[in-house]
Amino acid sequence: MPYEPFTTESGFVLQPIHSFPPFFTKQHHPSILSDATQQWIKLILGYARHRRLWTLRVEDAESKDGPWNEVFWNPRIKRQMPQQYLEYITKTMVSEGSAFWEPPRQTRSVIVCWSKVDAWAETLYDWVLSTGQMNTILTYYEIQNPETVEGPMSETPLPLLLKAIQVLAKSGRAQQIEGEAADGAEGGGGVRFFRAVAK
Amino acid sequence: MGAAQSGPKITAQDRAILSMKAQRDKLREYRKKIQVVLDQEQRIAKEALKQGNKERALTALRRRKFQESLLQKTDGQLEVLTNLVSNIEFALIEKDVLFGLEQGNKVLKQIHSEMDIEKVQKLMDDTAEGIRYQREIDEMLMSTMSVEEEEAVQQELAQLQAE
Repeated sequence: MPYEPFTTESGFVLQPIHSFPPFFTKQHHPSILSDATQQWIKLILGYARHRRLWTLRVEDAESKDGPWNEVFWNPRIKRQMPQQYLEYITKTMVSEGSAFWEPPRQTRSVIVCWSKVDAWAETLYDWVLSTGQMNTILTYYEIQNPETVEGPMSETPLPLLLKAIQVLAKSGRAQQIEGEAADGAEGGGGVRFFRAVAK
Repeated sequence: MGAAQSGPKITAQDRAILSMKAQRDKLREYRKKIQVVLDQEQRIAKEALKQGNKERALTALRRRKFQESLLQKTDGQLEVLTNLVSNIEFALIEKDVLFGLEQGNKVLKQIHSEMDIEKVQKLMDDTAEGIRYQREIDEMLMSTMSVEEEEAVQQELAQLQAE
């Protein structure tokens, strides 16, 4: 068996396919391209979860010292992820819902959802419930920076937090309240959570 | 996203609370910043001492002292604001409790209006009468039983004598 798994310095296990040079080339044949892309997506999400990475930019394809270099650069077979292929992969991820463009209306940079937005929404809701903060007005800042113990949303980027809140709003469990941040910057506003009313 | 948001109406009070909390958040951020500068001046002072530069160390410590006083003031304001927010939230709870009391009171009054005092008194009297009557019957039955038992005992005595 010429191809073996490889454990990176950060402790992530790369599957054998990562040592297969053609894996780093955007294939022409549609079904092969589709399979390979799915493998890459799985790898990207798994790695993001392992290192708690949130943002992926197409420039990360070429970098040799960025946070993604363990994935996109394989020095043992001297292969690097081509930027064009990564563009294709990120577009696919967005269309499948495992990532979203951030900032919106551009196609160079995404936030990866190594947990689905719905899962984040449930985590957030459970946290609000268990800390007795139902029916209280909360600022986004205090959700991400609780006074005492770190909350589950402390590391998530603000856009992801907002998406999770929107999921809860749709299911009648949250309402957003506009407000300005105290210094006029991004992130002002707040939210109130409540138990859903059974219809 | 399209779907209208459900839930309780957002009142002016809610917006006021949000605004206060945003101010509180700003103070917390500011506090973090001061702490960073404070720690930095401490490090500078230590470094200067290692290099034997007493003047520089003193300057850093003076700057640090100033930051400390800023920190204290910020903490004070933060406490005032946080307490205010807590008091407001508690007042809202009290309002709810008061509302609950009002509702309960209404219901109690209504039930009382359906229970006429005179009706209750008559019912109690009838019941007492019924209990007294029942006791009389019991006593009569009990005395009857004693007579029977007495006869039985007399018979047993007769049998014994006969042996």
